[in-house]
Amino acid sequence: MSDEKQSERTAGIVVTHGKLADELVRTAELIVGKQEELYAISGSDLCDENVIDRIRGIIVRRGDMHAIVFVDYFGGSCCINSVRAVEHEEGIKIISGVNLPVLLAFATKRGTMPFEEMVDHIIRRGRESVKMIDL
Amino acid sequence: MGGEYRMIALFRVDDRLIHGQVILGWGSVLKPDRIILADDEVASNEWEKNLYAASVPPEIKVSILPLPETAAQIKRGIFDTERVILLVRHPKDVVALMDLGLPVSEVNVGGLHYREGRAKVLDNVYIDAEERSIMRELVKRGVILDGRAVPGSRAVRLNSRVV
Repeated sequence: MSDEKQSERTAGIVVTHGKLADELVRTAELIVGKQEELYAISGSDLCDENVIDRIRGIIVRRGDMHAIVFVDYFGGSCCINSVRAVEHEEGIKIISGVNLPVLLAFATKRGTMPFEEMVDHIIRRGRESVKMIDL
Repeated sequence: MGGEYRMIALFRVDDRLIHGQVILGWGSVLKPDRIILADDEVASNEWEKNLYAASVPPEIKVSILPLPETAAQIKRGIFDTERVILLVRHPKDVVALMDLGLPVSEVNVGGLHYREGRAKVLDNVYIDAEERSIMRELVKRGVILDGRAVPGSRAVRLNSRVV
């Protein structure tokens, strides 16, 4: 399998407080269309074990495929539980500070570049998207 | 916490220990110098310790200690000149710290999340039968149980809801 193919089959797992994950995924799909393998876990009402189990459930079902876990806030419970869930997993990255541009970059770049490169690209897009608009 | 240990600005029971509500919610109001995470399990696991320590902004110091060491260091006066948020996972840890000689007049029971077997007390507080009886013991010892998730939440005393 080529690197490009690998990144095409990369899953996205969005883990956030409140209902943000569901709405982020739904909103991204309004813009770029229905996505395969993009999961939302709105985690803050669940206990830690439950959040971890859901993330692990997705990862285990997909075998050794790549995945990116997107979390809303560095140091929050969703972030901490995601780190716990992917401990010892190869080929799975966690990106904090998820926003709409991040998810759109993920949706549009999957399959066009190698996995590691895509991760860097997505983080860069997220950072570039936060700026003062000064016309 | 009250009494002679005034440097404890918040004593909180939260099964997530360090997370956004603590760092942002309480932290931005109380501006603590230090967070003490008092938990035997976390304190004995380097990986978990690093995970929690990495979650705290650099301007806040972190101590991750087993319960006996927590009581000993507080009593020794090590934190007397600081503002401290003290976190434990479970109501029984409050009883344990009291039995280790820390006087406690008030505790914030702000985050006990839903899991199988726990019944709802508040949106942010679910307890099982054992936790209920432990909280009843705290009430019997004269401890005020504050149920706020974050400082701006509606003030709710849990005392009458667990007896």
